[in-house]
Amino acid sequence: MSAVITIANLRKQYSYAKRGRGLFGGFSPQHVSIEAVDGVSFQVERGERVAVIGPNGAGKSTTLKMLSGILEPTSGEASVLGLTPWRDRKALAYRIGVVFGQRSQLWGELPARDSFNQLRHIYDQDKAVFEKRLGEMVKRFALAELLDQPVHRMSLGQRMRCEITASLLHGPGLLFLDEPTIGLDVTAKAAIRDFIRDHARDHGQTVLLTSHDTRDIELVCDRVIVVNAGRVVVDQPTDQLRRRFLGRKIVTLLFNGAQIVLDLPGVTRRASDAHAVVLDVDTRLVRVEQVITAALAHGGVEDITIEDPPMEEVIHDIYASAVTTQ
Amino acid sequence: MIAFLRLYALQVGAAVRMSFADRANFALQVAGMAINNLVFLTLWVLFFAGFKSVGGWGFSDMALLLGLTMTIVGICGVAFGGYRDMAVSILRGELDALLTQPKGLISRLLARESLATAWGDLAGGITVLSLFAEVSLSDLPLLILALSAGLTGYLSAAISFACLAFWASGARSFARDLTDFTLLFSSYPGSIYQGAVKVVAYSILPAGFVVMAPVEMLREPGLKSVAVVVTAAMAYAVLAAGLFHLGLRRYRSGASLA
Amino acid sequence: MTSTHLPSRPNEASRAASALLSAFRLGAGQTLAGWPVLVGRCIFYVILLIVLSALWDKVVAERLPGTLAGELPAGGLALYIGVTEWITLALPAVHLKLEDDIRSGGLEPHLLRPKSYLAQTFSQSLGAAMVRLGALGVTALVLLAVSGREPPPWEAFAYIVPLGVLGVVVGILLYALAGLMAFWARRTLPFQLVIQKLMFLLGGLYAPVTLYPPLLEAVAKASPFAAHLYWPSIQAIVTSREGFLTGLAWQGFWIVVLSYACLSLWRAGLAKVLREGGV
Repeated sequence: MSAVITIANLRKQYSYAKRGRGLFGGFSPQHVSIEAVDGVSFQVERGERVAVIGPNGAGKSTTLKMLSGILEPTSGEASVLGLTPWRDRKALAYRIGVVFGQRSQLWGELPARDSFNQLRHIYDQDKAVFEKRLGEMVKRFALAELLDQPVHRMSLGQRMRCEITASLLHGPGLLFLDEPTIGLDVTAKAAIRDFIRDHARDHGQTVLLTSHDTRDIELVCDRVIVVNAGRVVVDQPTDQLRRRFLGRKIVTLLFNGAQIVLDLPGVTRRASDAHAVVLDVDTRLVRVEQVITAALAHGGVEDITIEDPPMEEVIHDIYASAVTTQ
Repeated sequence: MIAFLRLYALQVGAAVRMSFADRANFALQVAGMAINNLVFLTLWVLFFAGFKSVGGWGFSDMALLLGLTMTIVGICGVAFGGYRDMAVSILRGELDALLTQPKGLISRLLARESLATAWGDLAGGITVLSLFAEVSLSDLPLLILALSAGLTGYLSAAISFACLAFWASGARSFARDLTDFTLLFSSYPGSIYQGAVKVVAYSILPAGFVVMAPVEMLREPGLKSVAVVVTAAMAYAVLAAGLFHLGLRRYRSGASLA
Repeated sequence: MTSTHLPSRPNEASRAASALLSAFRLGAGQTLAGWPVLVGRCIFYVILLIVLSALWDKVVAERLPGTLAGELPAGGLALYIGVTEWITLALPAVHLKLEDDIRSGGLEPHLLRPKSYLAQTFSQSLGAAMVRLGALGVTALVLLAVSGREPPPWEAFAYIVPLGVLGVVVGILLYALAGLMAFWARRTLPFQLVIQKLMFLLGGLYAPVTLYPPLLEAVAKASPFAAHLYWPSIQAIVTSREGFLTGLAWQGFWIVVLSYACLSLWRAGLAKVLREGGV
């Protein structure tokens, strides 16, 4: 194993002019600076799949930007695939792939194939190698029918499959994924997670991912870094966190009459109203199936929803426990 | 009628406030259009400095024509701004919501937007009319008649073009192109058109009745020229209303779904 | 698959060229994919030429004594206008693309790629412009044949085509300057309007700058706006090898100057983005 990413004490300070109040306030702006990233250090080994999570504004995208070379840090060191990202941006670009869930890198009016072909030239790829990779991706990602379709006519799930393909065609050793499953339906999410995980595993690819979906992290990554207020607060294997924080489900039951009290181990009741009961289910102690069977047996159930706890909540729990253990 | 006008004014008032909302952008658009018109005027100043007249039209006639065109486009954009994207509104199915409401459809479509750039046209138009067009205060009643007739003709043409959307989905940008072509014809001396081009300018793209006939009316006032201008404006208004209602009948029958 | 494919030195130039060529084809493909817009542009071109040639034909037919009409060629300015509008309508809205990418953060995916965004964008715009030049050019030839107007001498076409293509390059660079201002200004519309109006006025969109007062004519001829419109178009009514070479020289000069200006703005803007993480 060798380190693909090493960062040491990385800092990024933004300063902006804050306008003063009053008529002449605009003429005497005050300069305010904020520490977006405040001394972050970690190392990622080759083949690791790491999730970087944190609340909005925690500094995770600033960190990813610095690691991919499109933002210069205020201070600190970083080495990505042996290069300093902000000094060797173009050289690094040949060796990394990036997917933005909320931003397309394909040319909308044209068939996906044309975009792929354009990327082949941008990354100076040999035609034979490129065709072989594309062929493999088309097979594993079921793209055959999409290749000749203009991208703007695709569904979000189809487009995302093409986006990921586009970011892998030059065979990058390191993949950055920013919210790769955002806005997708359950099936599309599952297909994308499977693909990313299997592809990375088969090719020894290193993955760095940010997401607001706990399932992305559970199913794709083997390590989680939690960032808050510009600092790393937790850095642990996913397995360890899964046992403590990720093994939870939220079950919401709608009733048309009297509510029930479920007395099962691992089930706690949350804020509920006249028609709904919201349950926190610890899947280490009880299976979701058991909870639902018990509820149905009681009768009067109109609707059932099973959800993962929101990422903010998970982060909060992880963060709270990290603080108490310290 | 009073109630209708009050309601319309209320709607346009809201649309105008919306166009004001981003003030920097508003100022930019107005200034941009004013510069645009100024450059166009400069080109004509240069033209008439060099060539004196074309087909009997001198600079003041051209200024009168440009002044009328800019003022008409300005008023249309400020008070009937929805005309610009009317075809798009029809194609997007925005009529569905309006059909459930009790008030007139055309007026609702026209009042839904007010264009910031139109203030630049309006200001330019009034400036050009008062400084260069050589019209006196005694011409004012005729000038108002010319503007009203031209406005009716231009707006009616634009509505008629937008009605194409009831029959063809391709009318999305084509309707706007046709309105722009009418405007293009309305920005050059009326005396230059001959033969087939003149026929087009007095029929399909009615620049002839929007500005050229009104200019002639102001230059040589008479019962005949007034009658031509008023009749033409009314005819185009009837045509637009007729086309819209034909289209609407088709829309309601569910035949036009693009 | 994790093997890296860094370009080897000798191949670098040819690879850069092939990436540019590919972007050029992409731009052309995008324009062809939007063919209804292209057709609309051709119709607009036809109507514009009908109106403007009606104007100049009338002026020539009257030839009022004591006016500039005596200086006009026998066939009027229809052919001249045909070329200026051919170039003007072929220009893609590169300023809007730049503004959009820069202001929306859409630059990021491009910066994560190993090829220059600016060069790629320029090449792509050029591809779009060439398709438009082709479609409008065919339209112009058909219109010329239908109108029964006397065509310019054959060598005029040989001069107009290269000058027209380079005129479009100058135009794209001018609009790119406006678009790159997006690094510092929220809206680039004011810059774009100023450039566009100068193209009309100093470029001689509606009439050759030779009809202007002497001082204005001298200023106009030396400006990049004449390199954009006047020099290619004048060949349609006053065909000469000398004029062709003079135009070529001015275009070459302005392409170098404007490219350098674009590159400087880009470098300064990029440094700002890399430092501040956005605009």
